[in-house]
Parts: sequence; structure tokens; C-alpha cells
Amino acid sequence: MNLFSEIAFLLKKETTLELRQKYALSGILLYVTSTVFVIYLSFIKVEPTVWNTLFWIISLFASINAVVKSFFQENSARQLFYYQLVNPIAVIISKIIYNICLLLVINILTFIMMSIMVGNPIHNLSQYFLAIVLGSLGFSITFTFISAIAAKANNSATMMAILSFPVVLPILVTLIKLSKSAIRMTDTTWAKDVLMLGAIDLILIALCLLLFPFLWRD
Amino acid sequence: MRKNWWKILCVILLSWTFIAGLMVPMRPGVTSVTPYSAKVGDTIWLKADGYNTNWGGATKGKAWLHIDEFFKVEKAGKKMDSLNVFAIQSIDFKAINDQEVEFKFVIPQHLPLATKLENASLLVSVEGAEQALRPEAIAITQDSINAYRGKTFWNSKLDIHRQWHFEYPYRNILQETLRNTFFHVPMWFVMFTLFTIAIYHGIQYLRFRRRESDIKAVSFTQGGVLFGFLGLFTGGLWANYAWGQPFPLDIKIIMTYTALAIYLAYFILRGAFDDVEKKARISAVYSIFAFATLIPLLYVVPKLAPDSLHPGNGSNIAFGSQDLDNTMRLVFYPASLGWILLGVWIVTLVYRYKIIEEKLEMKMNG
Repeated sequence: MNLFSEIAFLLKKETTLELRQKYALSGILLYVTSTVFVIYLSFIKVEPTVWNTLFWIISLFASINAVVKSFFQENSARQLFYYQLVNPIAVIISKIIYNICLLLVINILTFIMMSIMVGNPIHNLSQYFLAIVLGSLGFSITFTFISAIAAKANNSATMMAILSFPVVLPILVTLIKLSKSAIRMTDTTWAKDVLMLGAIDLILIALCLLLFPFLWRD
Repeated sequence: MRKNWWKILCVILLSWTFIAGLMVPMRPGVTSVTPYSAKVGDTIWLKADGYNTNWGGATKGKAWLHIDEFFKVEKAGKKMDSLNVFAIQSIDFKAINDQEVEFKFVIPQHLPLATKLENASLLVSVEGAEQALRPEAIAITQDSINAYRGKTFWNSKLDIHRQWHFEYPYRNILQETLRNTFFHVPMWFVMFTLFTIAIYHGIQYLRFRRRESDIKAVSFTQGGVLFGFLGLFTGGLWANYAWGQPFPLDIKIIMTYTALAIYLAYFILRGAFDDVEKKARISAVYSIFAFATLIPLLYVVPKLAPDSLHPGNGSNIAFGSQDLDNTMRLVFYPASLGWILLGVWIVTLVYRYKIIEEKLEMKMNG
């Protein structure tokens, strides 16, 4: 099998696992729904800046919860079996791609629910969606790799939060700037922010591929 | 001795930094001017309060109020900044004491620029004392605009004579805290140098799996965190004075907190492993991954955020243009090198301590 068919095969495996144990995805969705509902209950109407902040906070925590299990749900012995069976690079790439899709679904759902429940202050919808796509990309790359690191340390869920928050902060800062300009809260040109996010994502994915071979071997 | 020349250099440079950085006097300056606003056609006595001045007993003195007009000119296909200076000279002078002096000005009927309000700078030249400048000292208002006639009134020539003394420039607001430039700014250079070397050793560990590389990486990271906190501390002291708040919401400060958080997470991660090899390998992987996000963090993101208080962002002036004059360069560059050497020196001591500790432990365990 070459790399691509391996990735396709692993993606299929991830999806099957997800569909088989539905509680993971539905748990995240329930989390998002209840958070948005709490926001609706406490705010009723939300200022645009607050809307933006709340959206990214929900997105951040939902993403962490969704991605954290990518290296925890299978025990290390089975993972070693995968690494014997296929190229380890294919494992991480497939997990990243799978998480990108998952986070896109979660973020867009969050966006729709926020829009329905507490109103939609966005002026430039396509720009905001660009921010969501770039954000899902950045979050999934960072969190997947950090979850691979955290899985090696045993008290993983806490470790995941400690390790990933500082790393994801530059992405988050740029994302909030980009999305703020989509709400017209700031009047800056946003091409630079898009470029910046793209560059960070590229650097991170390159480092993932470069560093993963050192990580998986025990 | 031959091997440790850089330690001697470090001591010499840092002695120079402390002696020159703290002992060299500030150039005289004007701290405040009263009144701070006037109308065209007024005759005013302008009182200037000096800092580090010796105006007392002077009999002769001149001052100019000048308005600068900035414009762009094309020179050999390149856009260059240029400025016109329009000035009026004082007609009378009175020295009250060493720190206070008064000048009488007759402000002409029109301003030289087509605006209703213009800030004029004050250049004080008292005999037997160095010249002192107060930028944007007084706001002059006018009702009818006639820039052409204004230019004929504001036609005095500035008589700037500035000998080079070994003195630091006087800056408003900053005043004596300017000296913190030699201590606060190099802390960041040291932090970044140490983190970069730490990453280098992390990569070396992943390539060759040598135990020493890991110990070196940890030592350099610890040194970097130490200097990071020192930078925050010196910056907080300075900001409290210059900006009125020790840690204002400034993008560079947020980014520095993040950088330190990354490396504190690095130490927590190391604490989670018992196996020495696994600890070294996984923490090296994490530090390289985190460091990559640090680079855009500290250099690119602040440049994108236009409203930072630090120099080099938005409309603030960066190093090299106006923040550093030649006297400050004479201290600032040696200071930077000296602090970097001190950082490396501390780290080598930490490294040697760790090596000895490990050897002792091995001996104890037989």
C-alpha cells in the first residue's frame, strides 16, 4: 500500500470507529448546544465583540474535547500494532485530516446555533467562514500533535490542556483579529491575517511530519 | 585563562554597562512650559522648567518657537522625507534660577501652515548652558488662515549648535528611566539567544541521542525562563513609570506571558516521565514544536497588531532611528553582548552542576 491508500484506509477506520461509538460525537454536540443555550439564557442579546469572543471560547473547548481522544481511545499496544502495519506518518496525517473534518462540522454547527439563538452580527460572512476554516485547520493540527505528546505522559487530559493552550494562543489571537474585522469591529486589512494563519498552519504541519517519527517509537 | 576570555570580556562589558549606564548624565531638557496654549497676536512670557540645567545668573539667552512641516520629495526616483522649519525668535529673556527661565515672544498674526491649530516646539539657548528642546511645547490657535503671510513672519533661523558630549538624550516622560534601555531590552536578547541554543541542543538530542545534549537543552531553557522573568520585571518597573501601569494590555507583554507559559508547560511535561530517555525525547519534540509557534508570536504578530505601546510598532519609532543616539549606542551594544555572555555563563554553571549531580547519584546507587 502506498501512503495515500493507507491514509484513506485509516480515515475509513476512524469514521467507522466514530459511527460505532456514537457517544463521542454526540457528547461534543450536546456540549456545544448546552453552552450556547446557557449563553442565550444569561445574555439574551449579545454585543458583537462578546459574540465573537464567546464563539471562539466555545470553539476552543469543544475542539480540545473532540481532539483529545484521538490518541487516547486506543491503547498504546494497539497503536504500536498500527505503526507496524502502516507508515506512522500515515497515522498522524489521517488523524489530522479526520480531526479537520470533525472540527469543521463542530465549528459550523456552533456558528449556526449561535446565529439562531443569540443573533448573528457578522457583516462579511465569507470572511468569517474563512476564519472558521483556518481555525479548524490550525486547531486540529496543533491539538492532534499535542494529544500524541500527551498520550505518552500518563495523566493525559490535564497534560493536554497545559501543553496545548500556550501553543494555540498565537493562532487564537490572529483568528480573533481576523473574525473581528469580519464583524467590522476593527478596520484593518485582513489579507495579512489570512497569510499569517496559513503560514502558521504550514509550519505546524511540516513540524508534525518531521517530529512524529521521533514521537511514536517507545 | 585562554579558554575563559569571554568571561573576562563579559565582566568588563557589564562593568562598563553599570558604570556608564548609571553614571553618565542626561543632557539638559525642558520638562514643562507654561502657558501651553496661545493665540496669534499675543505677547506672552513663556516660562520653561528645566531639568539638569544651569540657567541661573545667565544674562544672555535666546529661544525659538518653531513649527515643522513634513513633506515628501522625490530624489533620484526615491521618495524621501523632508521638512521645512518655520521659527520665531524671543525678544526678551529673564533667568529666574537654575531650573526656571522666561522668554518673551510676540506671536505673529498668522501661522505658517494652513491650519487652525499648530503645535510649536521650543528651543532654549541660554549662554553658558547647553541648548534644550521641548517638542510640541505650546499650541497656537488662529482664526483666519493665511499661510503665505505666516511664512513671511515665521522666518527666523534656528541657531542650533550642539557639541557632542558624553551624555544621554533627554526624553520627555522617560527622563532618567531611559537608562533602563541597557537593562530591560538586552534581557529579551538573552532570552531569545538562550531559547534558540536550547532548541539547537534539542535537535541535536533527537539526532544523536546523547545524554549531554538533553542536559544542555534543559539548562539553556531554564536560563531563558530566568531572563524572561527578569525582562518582565524590569519592563514592569519601567512601564509603571512611563505608561502608568506595570503590565498594560500590550501585545508584546501578552506574547511574553505565552512564551513563558510554553516553557513552564515544558517543565511540567518533563516532570510527568520517570524514564530518562523518554523524558528527554518527548520534551525535545514538544519544545521544538512550541518554539515554532513562538517565532511568529514574538516578531510577526506584534507587527500585525498596530496598537502596541512598545517601540517599533505602529506609529512608534523603532530602535536605530530616534530611540538610540550615538551615546546610547556606545553603551547599548556592549550591554547586549555582555548580558548575552552572562546568560551563557550562568547556563554553563547550571549545566556543570547538573552533570555533577548526576554523577553523584550514579555513585550513590553504585
